[in-house]
Amino acid sequence: MAPEATESESIASGTVGSGVRDAVDELTRRDIKAFVYLEARLADESRYDEWEALVTDDMHYWVPFGPGDYEPGTRVSYINDNRARLGTRIRQLATGVHHAQDPPSSMRRVVSNIEILSAEGDEFEVGSNFVLYEHAVQATGHLRLWAGRTTHRLRRTSDGLRMAAKKVELVNSTSPLPNLPFII
Amino acid sequence: MALTVQYSPASHDYRHLVQDDRIHGSLYTDPAVFADEMQRIFTDGWVFVGHESEVPEVGDWVSRRLGTEPVLMVRDRDGAISVVANRCAHRGTTLCPQNDGHDRSFRCAYHGWTYDLDGTLLGVPGPKGFHKDTADLGLDRPGQVDGYRGFVFANRSGTAGSLSDHLGAGGTDLIDRTSNMSPTGRVRLSAVWIGQRIDSNWKMWPESDHDGYHLNFTHASMARAVPDTYYDEIVMTGEEASESATRAYDGGHLELDFRRSYTAELAWLGTTREKVADYCEALEGSYGPEKAKTIMWDGPPHALVFPNLFLAEMNIARIEPVSPGVTVHHHTPLLVEGTDESVNRRLVLQSEAAMGPASFFLTDDAVIAERMHRAFEGAAAGEDGWVDLSRGLEREHVEDGQRWSDITDETTNRGFWHHYRNLMASAAASSTADTR
Repeated sequence: MAPEATESESIASGTVGSGVRDAVDELTRRDIKAFVYLEARLADESRYDEWEALVTDDMHYWVPFGPGDYEPGTRVSYINDNRARLGTRIRQLATGVHHAQDPPSSMRRVVSNIEILSAEGDEFEVGSNFVLYEHAVQATGHLRLWAGRTTHRLRRTSDGLRMAAKKVELVNSTSPLPNLPFII
Repeated sequence: MALTVQYSPASHDYRHLVQDDRIHGSLYTDPAVFADEMQRIFTDGWVFVGHESEVPEVGDWVSRRLGTEPVLMVRDRDGAISVVANRCAHRGTTLCPQNDGHDRSFRCAYHGWTYDLDGTLLGVPGPKGFHKDTADLGLDRPGQVDGYRGFVFANRSGTAGSLSDHLGAGGTDLIDRTSNMSPTGRVRLSAVWIGQRIDSNWKMWPESDHDGYHLNFTHASMARAVPDTYYDEIVMTGEEASESATRAYDGGHLELDFRRSYTAELAWLGTTREKVADYCEALEGSYGPEKAKTIMWDGPPHALVFPNLFLAEMNIARIEPVSPGVTVHHHTPLLVEGTDESVNRRLVLQSEAAMGPASFFLTDDAVIAERMHRAFEGAAAGEDGWVDLSRGLEREHVEDGQRWSDITDETTNRGFWHHYRNLMASAAASSTADTR
């Protein structure tokens, strides 16, 4: 029973027998899982300097309209940030006068169903599901519920794992959404 | 106050609630006012529906609302645009629950009634059970549908007069200037619409979108995060120093006119001629060097076509009232034809920065509107809770069917509300034996 227990304790890695299972060692799987949780917690707590330190220079942050199966830029997305625009987004959040996050939303997300979808060289594509509760304290005081699937592209660097891409496909992205000024 | 309010004409004295220099906050929150607006503005008047380019092929349709009335805008068999109720004429089931689609006909999922694309009833299962003439059982349709340069408008009551009268010289010029941004004169709205749901009254959006006074404060975070935006001249130069102007046209149409503030051609696109050479050459080829130069310097208008069409520079937005306290602000980038796609890629990127629930601008506007709405939730007519709109009243100018003033003046707000008062109060006077 020991191998199964270890497996379920860490991360399911793609389809059984797909080869991904064998390609990613147990230590890396633990690192990936820890990274995904850390990224989520820093976002929950609006710790944007620390969050930004997790991204690579070629980071792409994408929240598509509908399924993310189109080339970003060919039609409009909620968010389609290259590294420079992501930097602007974080600078705006840090000004202290960004009313949409002044004060910051109180947030907690639950991340689950983590799978390593592919591994190639130093890069790993990681899928997960999330549910996020947001207390929109800036005006309405409403408790807002967000849910979706995240696909991370993580890269092993000399500083450890870093995030080269984050795609967030919201389950209700084709319906009007309330303010989304934080990192989801 | 009851939670559900029946529509009862002339329940309010709109000439009192909308004064020359102030309006009462209950106009944002009172459910009876909202019911009046759905009738007098969104049923009795012209409302923007969509653009012809959204439904290029026969059978293409998009789902929209005229006020709160659900409709489909569809390319019918004749190649014309039809607007039909998205509601079966039998028992009222929504026919098309999606945002858009393509069909040869519309079939109701409940009992199988089937309609042609223009709303004509084609057939019903078990026809012997009906004594009525099924020709009388088509989908509800607005009394008037008309378009200008591909922008489609509908008037449910059919009593609003002509679309050209509604647009007037001001609205016509605004749509011309928007459409002329495309070298072919035809814009294309094909990059999907994104909706931003805001917990505020719909009227805060024509106001906020055309408020030149708020930029320094509401959008302070953007000015600090991106020091060199093209709004700099407008917001940084101070009162009476900016060359920009605020304009209110006859018919409730509004503009923040930035044209004279731009210090370089294509400033509104945040780029230079070399980066979009193909687009600039196409403009010159279509319009000639003089007019093309004007287009490249002036850029697109930032304007409202009353009541729900926001010509948002290189975006088009629709303001959709949902209930007194909920509005959806939809937007899509304004794409151009007759040039390579690189300029359209640039326009999509610009749209993603400016508009929508994760953008750098409208997120702050949304929170301000939600704070305003909350502050008036308890407002009742005749009590505290007035909104002051007097800024610039003594220095605005009137000429050629328009009022204009300093970019920071509330000329646009007053233009919106005074037209609103005309519609709301005159309808009250004509639809009842006025008891006041």
